Amino acid sequence: MKSIFALLLMCFSTLSFAVEQAEEIFKQLAPSLYQIRLIDKASGEKSSIGSGFQISSDGLIATNYHVISGFARHPHKYTIEYLDNKGNKAALTLKSVDVINDLAIVQREVPSEMPFFEIAQQPPTKGEELYSLGNPHDLGMIVVPGTYNGLKNESFNDRIHFTGSVNSGMSGGPVVNKATQVVGINVATSGNQIGFLVPHDKLLALYQQYQESPPTSIEQQMAAQLMQNQEKLITTIMNSDWQLKQLGRGLIPTIDVPFVRCWGESNSDKADAQIMAAVANCDLDENTYISADFFTGSLEMEYRYMESDKIGSTKFYHIFERQLNQVAPGNLAGKDDVTEYQCHHDLVMPQTSNINNKAVFCTRAYKDFPELYDVLYIAISIDHEQYALLSHFTIAGVAQETSLAFLAKFMESVSWK
Amino acid sequence: MEIIIEEISHGHKLLSRQKFASNTITIGRGYDNDIIVSDPHVCPEHLQLQFNGEHWLVSDQGSVNGSFLEGSKENVIQHKVNSGDIISIGKSQVRFVFPSHPVAESIAISPFESLINLARHPLVLALSMTLFAFIGGWIINLNNANEVSLTQILVPTIGLTLGFALWPAGIALVSHLTKHDARFWTQMGISFIFFNLMWLSDIFENVVHFNTSSNFSLIWLLSIIPLVLAFGLFWLNCYVGFHMTLRRRNVVASCLIFLLFGGSYIIQMSKQPDFNPRPQFDTTIMSPAFIFAPSSNVETFVNDATKLFEKATKSAKAESKD
Repeated sequence: MKSIFALLLMCFSTLSFAVEQAEEIFKQLAPSLYQIRLIDKASGEKSSIGSGFQISSDGLIATNYHVISGFARHPHKYTIEYLDNKGNKAALTLKSVDVINDLAIVQREVPSEMPFFEIAQQPPTKGEELYSLGNPHDLGMIVVPGTYNGLKNESFNDRIHFTGSVNSGMSGGPVVNKATQVVGINVATSGNQIGFLVPHDKLLALYQQYQESPPTSIEQQMAAQLMQNQEKLITTIMNSDWQLKQLGRGLIPTIDVPFVRCWGESNSDKADAQIMAAVANCDLDENTYISADFFTGSLEMEYRYMESDKIGSTKFYHIFERQLNQVAPGNLAGKDDVTEYQCHHDLVMPQTSNINNKAVFCTRAYKDFPELYDVLYIAISIDHEQYALLSHFTIAGVAQETSLAFLAKFMESVSWK
Repeated sequence: MEIIIEEISHGHKLLSRQKFASNTITIGRGYDNDIIVSDPHVCPEHLQLQFNGEHWLVSDQGSVNGSFLEGSKENVIQHKVNSGDIISIGKSQVRFVFPSHPVAESIAISPFESLINLARHPLVLALSMTLFAFIGGWIINLNNANEVSLTQILVPTIGLTLGFALWPAGIALVSHLTKHDARFWTQMGISFIFFNLMWLSDIFENVVHFNTSSNFSLIWLLSIIPLVLAFGLFWLNCYVGFHMTLRRRNVVASCLIFLLFGGSYIIQMSKQPDFNPRPQFDTTIMSPAFIFAPSSNVETFVNDATKLFEKATKSAKAESKD
């Protein structure tokens, strides 16, 4: 039996080389790898799992924020514990988080100095072989070889594009190069061998910041990070090139940055349609995870042009009105996270443009993160009998000032050709 | 002396009124009586009245169920009749009145009454029903996003009109059953005039909603219009269908309003979720032809939006305290 196995191995010698190398890496690093578990206090059972790795001799462990988000949001409901390669379990304390880059630092108690992962100083080169470590689906620690494919282009906050299977449960696990230095942290997957990693420099920054001045409160730390990120995002967008594109007889702004992507659709193939409709929407291809049903940091713009020479003006606007009733926030946040929306509506005609709109602006406040809001704007042109343009945006997790600046610029950018 | 005898049914309705000049009058189920009562609980020879030259005296003729003066439990024997006396026989009643009995003051026919009768005029009735059906059909067409043919609109329109006609028909039926004049066509005329007024107030409300911004604080006044219209409808329904005092009519109309609007308000409130994640705003948009108000500029709109942040922050603070 053994000989057949050996024969098989020889047949796939290239594969076996990689496997051997992976095995070697795994053996070396196993003592510093952990499964991170969130234990529900009331039931005593684990409610979520992820992976983590030690980054200092005194027991600091890095993982993903989303692995321990339950504890960060409800510290009374959960405890965090680790499971090491020998099957030992013990409690962990949450030390610091980076909610934007989905990182967290937790600490275990150590009796003596322990081996730990070294964080790389240099980013990998494109095509470099990397090894992702983690515990997928609670099946035990594994190592997955893959390739570094640079930073994801469409991402506002840097993410590494890693070609290799990153599965759930591996979140928070390290990705190392051949020299066993950490170059990234498993964070997400889009399936089919496409994985995403947080670059090592984000972890390095968080670690150094923690050593200099540990945060006094995780909630305040998160609020500050969210505030800073929205400021950076909206400022970047406001200073970017807003290109006016034609939609029907209207001109609509789209933002020319790689991390905002636009899509379009229309019913122009249906000759018997009562109303010709064309839709364009642009959105930020990422958002910030706060808890399972509370995401923030998203931005979305949508434009809808409708024209009809088949139905009367009253019916045309009546149909448009019904579409307004379907407006829903892009965020599933609930009562614990946000207030109800406050709305204002008016007829608005920007002085600089030739469009008369019925405009609605709504906002709701975050309960735990002061001065952060979700905002929503929707406007429908009401100055032509047979055609109209709807312009809409939502931004999640913005400050008052940035959102109002965006609102003014957006309103002034939409016009008739 | 002459005497007037009124026969009153079990349901307190006046069945007949006769004046007698003779000195003896008999009442009973038998055909030989002066007043023949068809109530099976009345005996063939039940009651007799006799004038003794000075007074009328009434006596039970040994009937099975007896004869009782209103408010008394004693069988009537040689009772001296006073004007206005009511005597129960079987399940019926008879009332005795002398010619000198006072009557209520005469009521002048009000111009209001003739105005109400105008609603019954075939032309007015046909016009208001046609208008109602026309607006109804138009709204059905508006709500249908697809192309609709005339027949597709016609059927639901007729259904809608018939459905709304049930209300006046129901009122007329109730007044008929309570021995009032049914006045079916008058009820129809009045109801459809008010239904049309309600359509119009609906359109008016929409125009106001469309033209005003959320800064307009008097918008709640609009919700009074349907209340007033419904009150007017119910009040007139009562006026036409039933004899009742003004006070009673006001009370009945108010109660109906309370039941209808209060009920629907409670149903709405009970459906309200504890937390509504959807934004609630005025969605009214209409054709440009209905714009009467000037538009604000971006600066004003942004300033108004600023106030929302204060409100949201306040409610976040209030709710996190709870």
